[in-house]
Order: sequence, then C-alpha cells, then structure tokens
Amino acid sequence: MIRFESLQKVWPDGTRAISDVSLDIPRGQFCVILGPSGAGKSTLLRAVNGLMQPTAGRVLIDGTEFNTSTQKQLRQRVAMIHQHFNLTNRMSVASNVLAGLLPAVSTVRALSGWFKPAHRQKACQLLDRVGLSPAHLRRRAGDLSGGQQQRVGIARAFMLDPEVVLADEPVASLDPKISRDILTLIRDAARERNATVLCSLHQIDLAREFGDRIVGMRDGSVVFDGTPAEFTDERVHALYRGAHWEDTPAGEEAEALVHEPQWVAA
Amino acid sequence: MKGASMSSRPIPVPPKGSTLQWHLGAPYNHKHVLALLMVLVLLLVTGHRTEMDRMAVMTTQAVGNVIGLADESQVVRGLSRVGQAMWPPVVATSEEVGRIQDLNREQLPWLSRIEMQERVEQKMNLQTLQMEAHSETVEVLVQPLGYVWTVFVKMIETLEIALWGTILSVLLSVPLAYFAARNYSPSRFTYTTARGFISLLRSAPELIVALFLVLAYGFGPIAGVLALGLHAAGFLGKFYAEDIENADKKPQEALEAIGAGRLKTLWYGVLPQVLPQYVAYTAYILDRNLRMATVIGLVGAGGIGQELKGRFDMFQYGHVMTILIAIFIFVFVLDQMQARLRARLI
Repeated sequence: MIRFESLQKVWPDGTRAISDVSLDIPRGQFCVILGPSGAGKSTLLRAVNGLMQPTAGRVLIDGTEFNTSTQKQLRQRVAMIHQHFNLTNRMSVASNVLAGLLPAVSTVRALSGWFKPAHRQKACQLLDRVGLSPAHLRRRAGDLSGGQQQRVGIARAFMLDPEVVLADEPVASLDPKISRDILTLIRDAARERNATVLCSLHQIDLAREFGDRIVGMRDGSVVFDGTPAEFTDERVHALYRGAHWEDTPAGEEAEALVHEPQWVAA
Repeated sequence: MKGASMSSRPIPVPPKGSTLQWHLGAPYNHKHVLALLMVLVLLLVTGHRTEMDRMAVMTTQAVGNVIGLADESQVVRGLSRVGQAMWPPVVATSEEVGRIQDLNREQLPWLSRIEMQERVEQKMNLQTLQMEAHSETVEVLVQPLGYVWTVFVKMIETLEIALWGTILSVLLSVPLAYFAARNYSPSRFTYTTARGFISLLRSAPELIVALFLVLAYGFGPIAGVLALGLHAAGFLGKFYAEDIENADKKPQEALEAIGAGRLKTLWYGVLPQVLPQYVAYTAYILDRNLRMATVIGLVGAGGIGQELKGRFDMFQYGHVMTILIAIFIFVFVLDQMQARLRARLI
C-alpha cells in the first residue's frame, strides 16, 4: 500500500533527517513509528503526502509514485492527523470538518460554504462517531479542549474516506486516558474503512497496545521493524540509549516542522 | 549597622578567581553612551533648524502673558485677533427676498421669517467721484438655523465620502493583498508588482492625490472618494497581506496536506484567523477617512472642507467657526459611537 524506496532527506543546512529508508506497509495495517526526537519520524510521514520533498528515493502509494503530477490526486486519498490538531481555531467545528472535503468540492461551493446536504450529514455522522454532540457544531474549534479538538481533527481526516491515514504524534499533547481514546478512535475508524495508518508516537506502551507493527527509528534510519511482541524491553533500551529525553516533547520540534506551504512562490 | 538600609545580608558572590568560562557583561558600555550623545547632538541641530527653540520662547511668553507675568506676546495677540474675528459663530442665513425666485410668502420654509433690514452700502457718486454711504431698506428672508442646516448637509456628504472611500479601498485591497502575500502570490513577479503598487498608493498623500483628481474629475465628491480610497487601499493592502503572511501556518498545512488548493486554503485556513484584525484595520481606515474627508475638501474634493475653504477665502470667519464646531462635534460623536460599537463587538 505504502512503499518507501531508499528514501533520503537532507535539509538545506546539511542535517541528515532520513538516510536510506525502505519500508513496505500493507493495506489496513496500523504501523507505529517510534523513536527519540529528531529520529525522522515526522519527516518520513510527511514524505507520504508531499509536505516534505525527499532528496532521493521515492514513495509509492498503491503503486503510484508520489510526485508533482500525481500529488493532487494522491493527496485526496491520504488524510493527516496532526499533533497540534491544526484546526482553524476561529472557525466553527462544523466548518473545520467540512474543510476535509475541500479538495473534492467546487470552488464556488467551498467559498460560499454551501455544502451539499449529504456532505453536511456526513460531517454530523463523523462528529457523532468521534464522540462529539450537536452542541459542538457551531462552537469555535479553538474553544474546545485538546482532546475534543483532536476528535474534530479525526472527523476532518475521515471526511474523504482516505485509504491512508498519517497521524503525526496525534496524542503528544494529550493526557494518557484521552490518548488511549483518541488512538482507539483512529484505529477503529481506519479498520472500518480498511485504511492504512502510519502513526508516529512517543509512548512505548501505546505503541505496543495499538500497533500491528512497530518501526523504530534512530537518526534517520530504521533500527527496528517488527511486531509489538518482538519489541522487547531490550529493544526499547537499544532504541533510546543515549537519546536526550529532555529535548523530546511537544514544543520546538513540532514548531520547526511547520514549514511554509510547499507551493510558495520559489 | 553597616550601610544605609536595614536589609542587609550581603549578596553572596562567587569567590574571585572562580573558573567559569563565561560571564555576563555590563548592560551597556561606552559605545552606547557615544551613540546616545550623537543622537542628542542630532536632535539639537534639527531642533534648531525647525525653530523648536523659538517655539519654546514664544510659548513661554504666551503663558507668561496669560498669567500676567509678561506684558507682550505675539502668540496671544494673534490668537485673540482670530478669536474676535471668529466669534460669534454664524447660525442663521439671510437672503434678500428680491433675489429668491418663486418665493411663496404663504408657505415660508420651516422656522424662517421675512424681515425688513437696513443695509448701508458704499456707492460711488458719479458726479463727485466720491464714495458715499447709502442706506436702503430691503426685505430679507431670515432662516435662523439656515447655516447650521447647510453645514449639516455638508457633514453628511463628508460622511458619505468617507464611507465610499473605505468601501472602495476594501474592494481594491482584497485582491491586492492576495498578490502581495508572499506565500500566496502566484509568482515572484506578481508579488513584486503588487507590493510596488501598494507602496505607490501609500506614498501619495490623499491631499495631493485629490489635487490631481480634482483636475481630472472636476470639483466634487468623486475626487474625494477616489483619493481616500486609493490611499487607504495601499494601507489596507499592506496590512491584509502581512496578516496573511503571518497567519498561523498549522491550519494551512492541514489543508495543504489534503490538497485543498490555494484559494480554498486561504478561505478556510487563513481568513477566519485574520478576520478580527481585518475588521480592526478597516475600522481604523474608516475613522481616518472620516477625519481626512473633512480636510480633503480644501482642494475642492467635496464635503465640509470645500465649504470651509470657501468661507475662509471670503474672510467669513464666523462661518468658519460654525464649521469647526461642527467638525469637532462630528468627530466626537463618531468616537463615542465607535467606542460603544467596539465594546459591544469585542
């Protein structure tokens, strides 16, 4: 389903984010990517929908290579769930979810906000599925709690019935209980559609619990690839040995990854 | 007790010769002092060139004169002369009945009356070639609030000019902003062109633009609206564009990731985020235009300014006073309304 072929990424400043990663992820698999900060997890994910252009190698989705000519078409089949939810905070929950349809609706419809009743119905269904209530529809996305915002993010991601779901540390800024709920939602919603999930995580326990497969990354390379059962404590230590835990969480790394949109005038 | 205060545990410091490799320097050094001195010298020079010293002397003199310390002040003399000429403000209009066409004496305009007035006129006696005072009695139509009404109507016109100037500037600046935002402009060329155009619009002051537009469109509000609109479009275009550039990238990235396309991303990922600022900028422009609209008539671009200029040129300072009072009330009322509106909106 997703195939990375000797993918490499070197940032303009010479930092090696990914060095020669080849992976094959079959349809319907929930694949967790683990690893310390700066291991290249997010960069790898972003290669799948072209938010990051690889220096060498290629990504194939369902046999189609991701490049500038296939980008528009492929992006509609790949949804993304973000660490910081990336909702339009001042816009209503309903509009945020409907925004998931944007690539598929006409410009007039999009700009006027006049979505088809069936589409609006779908937004309601998904919001119901992720555990929100009709009272949330008209509320501003930014006014919701973190967990609720991520639920909206999930609803948005599934609006186009994606074949691939990229989840970039979807629970890094949420508490453990809510993290579990959110990952359950992503996993179940993906299973219902037989969608492949590529999810980067920081929590080893969650990775073992939810992953069909765990890929451990370190300094841009895959250093572990196997089932949760194979991911023993020794493996965990090997993966994280000497890594700087204190640099890990949310903030800076995520901010640094928010680049200018790719279609910026060069 | 050592030292002046009672506080006084000495602040512990590391012993001399400690081995730390880095240290925190003093917050400023001789370079800063030198720079400050240079700035001071520069201020003194420019201050002298712009006669700031003379202003200080004259103003001190004026204040002294008012409180009875100085017996001569040019400023006070000038001001009191103007004050005398301008007082009282003109409220009524009177017009010779003979000059009014189709006056219906049964139905006079509201509040107005017909009066007999004695007019003293200087006329030349053709025999003696001397000026002689002639007095004649004429019938005049007096409208006690006539001039206030005239000014009011002009004020409304001013308001309309400001309103349309603002509408025009918003209409112009929205597409401009799209092309002038670095991350949305289709190409480097469109970006530079749009930015250049915005700078051009902004660099030309309203009054000067209006001066030329009056030549093109003639006297009246068209020139005023265009002048205000063009200048403000430069202003709004710049600020709208910069808001688009600085908007939170996260929602934009989310929409880009699913391939939403530029326009839709702008509409769903950027606009809702920057809208409050847009409203604030536009409100500021409206406020500025309202004040500018009163001035812009000075070059003939319609509104109250045109009336003001006319009266000023005819030495009718009483009328000028009425207009100035009207402008003050106008701006004051608008400020109050705006403050209330803001309190309600935010």
